[in-house]
Amino acid sequence: MIEIQNLAKKYSTQTVLDINILKIPAGQTFGLIGNNGAGKTTLFSCLLDLIKPTKGKVINNQVDVSISEDWKSFTTAFLDETFLIGYLMPEEYFYFIGELRGLSKQKVDSFMSQFEDFFNGEILGGKKYLRDLSKGNQKKAGIVAALMGEPKVIILDEPFANLDPTTQIRLKKIIKDLSNYKDTTILISSHDIQDVTEVCERIVLLEKGELIRDINTSEETLKELEEYFKARIN
Amino acid sequence: MFKTVLSLQWKEFNRGKSVGGKLVAKIFKWFWIIYFAIMSVMIGILASAYGGPSMEFPLENNSLAPFEYANGQLIYFFAYLIVMRYFIQSLPVLNIRSFLLTPILKKDIVRFSLLKTILTYFNILPLFFLVPFTLALASSGNYNTLGLISWNINLLGLIYLTNFFNFLLNNKNNLIYIVGAALGLIKALEYFSIIDFTIYSKEAFYLFYDIPYLSLFTWLFVFWLYSYVKKYFVTGLYIDTGLQVKIKEAKMDDFSWLNRFGKTATFIKNDLRLLKRSKRARTAVYMGLGLLFYGVIFQSTEDVFGTTSAFFGYLFSTGGFLFMFGSFVPSWDSQYYPLMMTQNIQYKEYLNSKWSLMIFGTIISTMLASIIYSFSGLNAVYAVLAGAAYNIGVNGYLTLWAGAYTKTPIDLNSSANAFGDKKAFNVKTVLVGLPQILLPVLLYFFTSQYYDHFMGCVAVACLGALGIFLKPVAFNLIMKAYKTEKYSTLKAYKSN
Repeated sequence: MIEIQNLAKKYSTQTVLDINILKIPAGQTFGLIGNNGAGKTTLFSCLLDLIKPTKGKVINNQVDVSISEDWKSFTTAFLDETFLIGYLMPEEYFYFIGELRGLSKQKVDSFMSQFEDFFNGEILGGKKYLRDLSKGNQKKAGIVAALMGEPKVIILDEPFANLDPTTQIRLKKIIKDLSNYKDTTILISSHDIQDVTEVCERIVLLEKGELIRDINTSEETLKELEEYFKARIN
Repeated sequence: MFKTVLSLQWKEFNRGKSVGGKLVAKIFKWFWIIYFAIMSVMIGILASAYGGPSMEFPLENNSLAPFEYANGQLIYFFAYLIVMRYFIQSLPVLNIRSFLLTPILKKDIVRFSLLKTILTYFNILPLFFLVPFTLALASSGNYNTLGLISWNINLLGLIYLTNFFNFLLNNKNNLIYIVGAALGLIKALEYFSIIDFTIYSKEAFYLFYDIPYLSLFTWLFVFWLYSYVKKYFVTGLYIDTGLQVKIKEAKMDDFSWLNRFGKTATFIKNDLRLLKRSKRARTAVYMGLGLLFYGVIFQSTEDVFGTTSAFFGYLFSTGGFLFMFGSFVPSWDSQYYPLMMTQNIQYKEYLNSKWSLMIFGTIISTMLASIIYSFSGLNAVYAVLAGAAYNIGVNGYLTLWAGAYTKTPIDLNSSANAFGDKKAFNVKTVLVGLPQILLPVLLYFFTSQYYDHFMGCVAVACLGALGIFLKPVAFNLIMKAYKTEKYSTLKAYKSN
């Protein structure tokens, strides 16, 4: 589904991303882990054509993202609060994104009804603009908007951070269901080893922009990752 | 403590993300302040020989008329001062939250914020009038020096009263309604000549000249107000009271009647909500409305500079909203530009929606301007319509195109003055901006010289009409500019 070839991003002399080759097959739940400055967000930004790589390219479902914009019709993302429109109410935001993805108002409504539990009554029907919601609730709204319109690829940057425990569990279930039943390719980054090992079928470990490990998740993965990061302390 | 906080503020300014832009804004501001200071000195000197519209100028005889006339006008000066302060003077906003947990006393934090305003230009500028005015009066020998000094001390006290009063005005909603109503009433009573406030004003301010020690009471009042305001803020230094950001109750805006316009409507709906809900965006609308009257200013220059300068004014009056809103496309969307760039959107649809909104605004402006200027005769209306055609057919594209190079993020949640916004200082934007004004004015100038006013208007209107037909070509060029600028725009918006 996604193919990264020779991708590198340099700022003057500093290399922040340098990946030789990385292929993510369709339907995979792909986790990205690493410390601050590992290049996780940079990689996602390159995938979404938000920054121009110094060299190399990203192919998303046969589309070179820097040349054609066709990838936008099947790819969604939530990286940070710049994906929210602060002066809209959550409903208006969902309808707006829905319209862009070709969903009618009724379809958006019925889609939203699945997430009643997830929203915990704090998002829909309130009298607040998105800018006035708490950070956690903003994130919930952004993530759900990224799930709308049956995308083939979903990219989420640190989806679990800032969420309350119950919501984290619910979100994990949502992600697992999407990859099991809908064959959606999901890319997730995280600082939390446990979260990614729980959700992702495959985990890639980045450090200083380079691919250090590429693991198919198994029983031992959590331990392996823990030991890797513990070893970094000394 | 003062020194530490001052140095922090200096760093905040110096290390902000757009130092260059801020610097330009500062220079701009100081240019105006110096301009006003010079004007104040001149007015001060002139006023010392001016006894009112009914008397000769300059006054020859040694009367008290200039002093009395000035006293009569002072009530309006203070009324305007209150209004201007409320709208223009920005209160010093320390990043107070981060100080709450430091060992700095709360009352010191507040004191710093309050005392910092002592030297603001609103308090200093009046001195540029008062000092020369007083000196000129004193040198005439008709006045009691002690009285003049007391009179000045009183005025200075009143200036500081309005200074601290402004803090309350900005924080108490009820107060602003009361004061607004009172000022409106004064203005109305004056306008319909029901009450002549100048008589009372004359008497009141004369008292402080007559009985020098009265000024002491003014200053007692200043100190009382200062301590009241201080106390008000100290008690409000909790994150759930005074420091809490007021949240307005949200209301849905449907706008589904726009759906017939297809994809374009999707964005227009959002932009209408933006204009409605963001203070900063609303300013653009208000300024557009204000610019409707731009032509009036230039009408008065018609006798001196000919019809071309008036034409310039008319051109602007219909394009006010277009410039005010359009110059900040796509900056309006700066806070969520990454979202826009990853959605299933064609640039063409996005740009078309912005363009449609600008044109819609221009059409409304044109209708209003036609009504306003119909009082000045048919020739003015022709010029307004020609200007509108040009704004729609040419300036719409040019403004959008310039937007591709405008990379100043806009913080939608603040109402920071739309005037000072550092945006314009980008060579490319200026270059694109030039033909917006120069081309039609020159075209009008030459055609109206060879033929007449009407043909001049027709020529400009024809150029506009041509532009409307060339829309697909223009849009292709604009789209290309937006595409090549995409990454640097994203980067610039990120460093908000």
